Amino acid sequence: MTAGSATPAATTSPAEVHAPAIRVRGLRKVFGSTVAVSGVDLDVPAGAVLGVLGPNGSGKTTMIRMLLALSRPTAGTVELLGAPMPAAAGAVLPHVGALVEGPGFHPFLSGRENLRRCAAAEPLLSSRAIPDAVQGVLSRVGLSSAAGRRYRAYSLGMKQRLGLAAALLVPRRLVILDEPTNGLDPAGTRDVRTIIAELHAGGATVLVSSHLLAEVEATCTHVAVLDHGSLIAAGPLAALLDGGAPALDVRTPDSTMAVQALRAAGIGAAIRPAGVLVELAGTDPPSVVALLVRAEVAVHEVQRWRTGLDELFAQLTEGHSQ
Amino acid sequence: MTTADAYRTALTGPVRAPLGRLLRSELRWVLRRPRTQTVLGILALIPVLMGIGIVAADSPGGSGLLTQIAGNGLVLPVAALSISLALLLPLAVTMAAADALAGESAHGTLRGLLLAPVSRTRLVLVKAVGVLAVAVAAVAAVAVLGIVTGLVLVGPSGTAHGMLTMSGTEIGPASALLRVSLAAAWTVGQLAAVGAVALAVSSATEHPLVVLAAVLGGLIVFGVLSAIPALDWLQPLLLTTGWFAITDVLRDPLPLDGLASTSLRAACYLLIGLALALARTATREA
Repeated sequence: MTAGSATPAATTSPAEVHAPAIRVRGLRKVFGSTVAVSGVDLDVPAGAVLGVLGPNGSGKTTMIRMLLALSRPTAGTVELLGAPMPAAAGAVLPHVGALVEGPGFHPFLSGRENLRRCAAAEPLLSSRAIPDAVQGVLSRVGLSSAAGRRYRAYSLGMKQRLGLAAALLVPRRLVILDEPTNGLDPAGTRDVRTIIAELHAGGATVLVSSHLLAEVEATCTHVAVLDHGSLIAAGPLAALLDGGAPALDVRTPDSTMAVQALRAAGIGAAIRPAGVLVELAGTDPPSVVALLVRAEVAVHEVQRWRTGLDELFAQLTEGHSQ
Repeated sequence: MTTADAYRTALTGPVRAPLGRLLRSELRWVLRRPRTQTVLGILALIPVLMGIGIVAADSPGGSGLLTQIAGNGLVLPVAALSISLALLLPLAVTMAAADALAGESAHGTLRGLLLAPVSRTRLVLVKAVGVLAVAVAAVAAVAVLGIVTGLVLVGPSGTAHGMLTMSGTEIGPASALLRVSLAAAWTVGQLAAVGAVALAVSSATEHPLVVLAAVLGGLIVFGVLSAIPALDWLQPLLLTTGWFAITDVLRDPLPLDGLASTSLRAACYLLIGLALALARTATREA
């Protein structure tokens, strides 16, 4: 799980014997002299919620477009739900819902009419089921009251909700959402989180791209970090969070004394507000606590210090560009 | 079986939405679009304005098609079709084709269709039907309003309520209507050719204006080329060559050479246009 690793496969847990929902090998896309995506290998286990993180221009959308066969890879292969793309698009895409590059609808039609038009093209919807499916998804994304208004009169957030509705018209096995919270107010963001949680609970696989790290930390089981078109980290969220330098967060009023005692024992430590941060290289939490207690430092609270995902993200992208 | 298991069953083969449903959805979208309705309304005004103009002028002694209309109502729809074919009808069809692929791409709605998924071949065919529908609606608007205006404002010719042909003979009303229908059908054929070429351009860009400029500009260039005597050899290749053949339906007996050869040329343009649109859409990044 190191930066630049060639095979950051998302999981090897023995419980996951099924084909991954997304399997990407050597994916590469070149526009003229610009390399947008280079050598991406990725496995997303069925049922996972993968957050794809990356700064603007890191190749998130380009990768998603290739997954969905909207764009042709310069090199590499994509399998969705165990079938090769784009060859099996006719069998795969009916089970895939996607919101890519923002919502796209006709301004002169109402929200409901726009969804009806999307529904007409959905292979898994029978003609009789369309009105109910449209009504159901409109209320799911909170647009029931605005369904009759023309799309051109929608606010940015409403447009985004309608795009989400189109992706959820049919029960999907895989849902791909490119920046789903763009333009949404806090309530809308919460709604998106709820929807992702519902999809996850129902067994669907979700891929959600975002540049908002908190978003990913709150909703995802797995994370992939893209930078300059390369996948620089991928794996279960918990593993990536623990993957940073291990440290112990010690709450104490005697921080100066604690740092002196630790440094004397050859353990790295730094003063933080209300305590010290202890590096765990070459030692373990019990020894640190014992040492502090022997040095008569008042220890109020000891906690494994988790790297926030944004710190990890900053580390990864900075380390990569150096 | 739990829901989670259901998500892991093997995929069935390719599934597709019913073609009839796709076509209905496309036609509703095309015909409900405000700009389609506006351009159809303008086209319907053409024969009405021509009829009013002729009645108001009421000066015999001029020459050509327009004088022929005076006192000869069923000539009006043919004359109106002939005049609209120069620019307005191709404009209507090109607009529809521009919106069909380039416009959908610009709105981001083409992605939605491809993700549904609608196969790329099907997409082009459904779009072609939509463009054809606009061509039929546009020609119908001109022809029907032409017939009505002609009969109301100009009145039937002679005693038989039929049509006085350019050859001086008189034909019955049924036969006259048949000839107007022939003119309309021929016009739809020419517009289908324009539409197919426009669809090919539309498949290669995401700017509807580029389609409009390319196709209408192309028609104007065709007109210029056909006016240069040194380029006579080009004539058989130009779509616009022989578009005046529509007035052949006003002759007696009906000469079919011009109508047939122009229709054949239109068929060639249609096939080439559709083939290019299919090829380009197959590899298009959406």
